[in-house]
Amino acid sequence: MRYWLQRLGVAVALLLAVSALTFGAMNLLGDPLFNILGPTSASTLPEDLEIIEAAKAEYNLDDPLPVRYVKWGSAFVTGDFGVQFSVDGQPPVSDLIKERLPRTVMLLIIAQTMAVLIAIPWALFAASRADKAVDKVSTVTSFLFIAIPNFGLAVILKYLFSLKWSIFPLIFNAADPFWTRVWQLVLPAMALALPVASVYQRLLRTDLITTLQEDYILTARSKGVSKRNVLFKHALRPSLFSFITIFGINTGALLGGSLIVEQIFIVPGLGTAIVEAILREDFPVVLAIVMIVTTAFVVINVLVDLLYSLIDPRVRAS
Amino acid sequence: MNKNDIIQSDRRIESGEPLLELIDLKTHFKTERGLVRAVDGVTLSLKRGESLGVVGESGSGKTVLSRSIMGLLPSTAVKHGSVKFAGQDIVGFSAKQMRHLWGAEMSMVFQNPLNSLNPLMKIGKQITEPLKLHLGMDKATATATALQLLRDVRIPEPERRLNQLPHELSGGMRQRVMIAIALACGPTLLFADEPTTALDVTVQAQILDLIGEQRRDRNMSVILVTHDLGVVAGHTDQIAVMYGGKLVEHAPTKTLFANMKMPYTKSLMRSIPKLSDPSHTRLATIPGRPPDLVNPPLGCNFAPRCMYALPKCHVEEPPLTPTADPKHVYACWYPVGSPEFEKRDAELQATGYMPEDFSAVS
Repeated sequence: MRYWLQRLGVAVALLLAVSALTFGAMNLLGDPLFNILGPTSASTLPEDLEIIEAAKAEYNLDDPLPVRYVKWGSAFVTGDFGVQFSVDGQPPVSDLIKERLPRTVMLLIIAQTMAVLIAIPWALFAASRADKAVDKVSTVTSFLFIAIPNFGLAVILKYLFSLKWSIFPLIFNAADPFWTRVWQLVLPAMALALPVASVYQRLLRTDLITTLQEDYILTARSKGVSKRNVLFKHALRPSLFSFITIFGINTGALLGGSLIVEQIFIVPGLGTAIVEAILREDFPVVLAIVMIVTTAFVVINVLVDLLYSLIDPRVRAS
Repeated sequence: MNKNDIIQSDRRIESGEPLLELIDLKTHFKTERGLVRAVDGVTLSLKRGESLGVVGESGSGKTVLSRSIMGLLPSTAVKHGSVKFAGQDIVGFSAKQMRHLWGAEMSMVFQNPLNSLNPLMKIGKQITEPLKLHLGMDKATATATALQLLRDVRIPEPERRLNQLPHELSGGMRQRVMIAIALACGPTLLFADEPTTALDVTVQAQILDLIGEQRRDRNMSVILVTHDLGVVAGHTDQIAVMYGGKLVEHAPTKTLFANMKMPYTKSLMRSIPKLSDPSHTRLATIPGRPPDLVNPPLGCNFAPRCMYALPKCHVEEPPLTPTADPKHVYACWYPVGSPEFEKRDAELQATGYMPEDFSAVS
C-alpha cells in the first residue's frame, strides 16, 4: 500500500515537472500573441489593439507565467484543454485529441502486439540454437532492423507492400469501418514493430540463454520434458523481466516513432497533430499531447510493475 | 524405445542380468584448450536394487560420469564405449530417444535443491509433470499421486505444499520434493548427485536415509555421487573411487573400508575429520590440485600428489588390478600393504604425514 502511494506521488511529480518544463519552454521561446494573431500582434492600429486586448484576455497573457501555468493546469485536470492557437481557435483542443488519439492508440497497440508476437518465438528459436549458424543469421537480421532508421523502414515497407505488391492499402481513411481501418494500420504498425521486436528479441534471447543454464532446466530435461516444453513451460516465464521492463519504456519511444510513421503513411493521428502543432507553435495542443504521452508512459510502467508480481510471485512478498 | 522393448528389458532385469553396464566409457569435451578427458575409460556394472557410491574430489569426473550415463550433457561432449541400460546400448541414443527413459526409467536428484526446482512453478505442478508425461495420468490422478509421493518423502502438510512455490520451503524440504519428482514414475535407476552437499548436517542423514529407504521399497538402483566417503559408507553396496576421470579403486563397500589399496582412497579417508581427534588438530588435506584433464600426467594421474609415488609411478600408468577378491580392483603400482608403501609410510609417520616440501612436485 505504502509502495503504491509512493508510486502515485512519483507519477504526480513527474506530470508536474513535465508540464511545467513544457509550458515554460514553449512560452519563453515563442511569442504566444504572435502565434495566435500572426502579424496583427505587432500592429498599433486602434482596431487591432482591440483584437490584441481581447486575445490577451482570452489566453490570460497579461498574467505572470506561473499564474498562467496554474490557470492552465487547473483547467487541464478538469478536462478543459483550452482552445487552439489557430486563427479561430476551432475545434477546441479536447475535440482534436478525441479525434486523433484513438488512431494513434490503435497504431501503438497493433505495433506492440506485433512486436511481442514476433519477438517471443524469435527469441525462443534463437536461444535454443544459441551460437549456431541460424542464431548468427538472426542476430545480423535483428541488428539490421535496429540500425535502419524508422522512416527508412517505413518507406521501404510502403514501397514493397503497398505500391509494388499491393498487399496492404496505401492510405488511411478515417471514414472506413473499424476493421478496415485496423487493416489500414497494419503496415504502419509493422514499420514501428520490426525495430522494437528486434530489441525485444535481443534482450529476451540473452535472458533465455542465461535461464537455460539454470539447474532447474536440467531438472526439467531429466524429467523427460521435451525441448519445446522446456522452453515454453520452464524457461520463458523466468526470462521475461528485462523484456517487460523495456516493453514499458519503449511505449514512450514508440510514440516518438509514430510521429514519423504517421507522416509517411498519412495517418492523421496524434503524431501528425503534434508535428503540425509544433510547427505552428500551437502551445495548448503541444501541451495536451505531451501530457497525454507522459500519463500513458506513467500508467504503462505501473502496469509493468504489476506484471512483475504476476510473473514472479516472489516480487509481491518483498 | 517402444513399449515392447521396455517390457523385454524388464524380463532381462529379472533374469539377473545387470541393470546398468558401463564398458570403457569415455566422455571427452572439445574445448579451445583441447580435448578434456572428463571421463576416461570407466567400466562397471550395477544390478537392480543395488547402490553404487561414486567418490572423488571436484574435477574427478564423477558428475560427468553420472550425466554421461543419463545422456544429460552439453553438445560439446563426445562419448565412446558403451552404456548398457537394461540390456540396451543407449550410448548413441539421441535426446529424443533418451526422453522416454528420463524421468520414467532413470532420474536424477541434483546437488543444489535451491536452484534445481523451477522457482516460478508450483510444487504440485512440478511433481505431476512427469506423471502426466510418462504415465498419461489425468490431472486428478496425477495430483493424488503427487500427494502420495509427498507423503512418501515425509513432507509435513503435503496438501498445502502442492500449491506452494519452492521459495516457501526450506532447503531440506526442497530436496525431498526433488526426490519425490525423481521417484514419481517409479524409475529403476536413480542418480543422486551430491544430494546432501548443500544441506544442513542434521538434514543430510535424513535425506540419505530417505533415498536408501525408497531404494529398498522400490527395488531401485541408486548411484550416489559424492566427495564424502562418510556419506557413501552406510548407504551403498559398492564404491567406485574416481580420480582424473578414471576409476582408481572399485570394491564392495565393506571390502573397501576394510582393505583400501589405493593411496588416494586412503588420503580421502584421512581427510575426514574424526571426533576422536583433539581440538585444533590440523585437517589432513591432499596437497596439490587435480590433474589437468587436457594434458594428463604421463604415468599415474595421482602420482604428482601422491606421498608414496616412486619413479615408476611418474612414467607408467598402472592398470586396474584385482585383489584376492575379484570384485575389488585398484590402479596402483605400490598399493597399501606393499613393501614399498610400508617403507615410505614408516618414514612419513616419523614426520607426522607432513611432507617436507610438496610444492616441488605439485
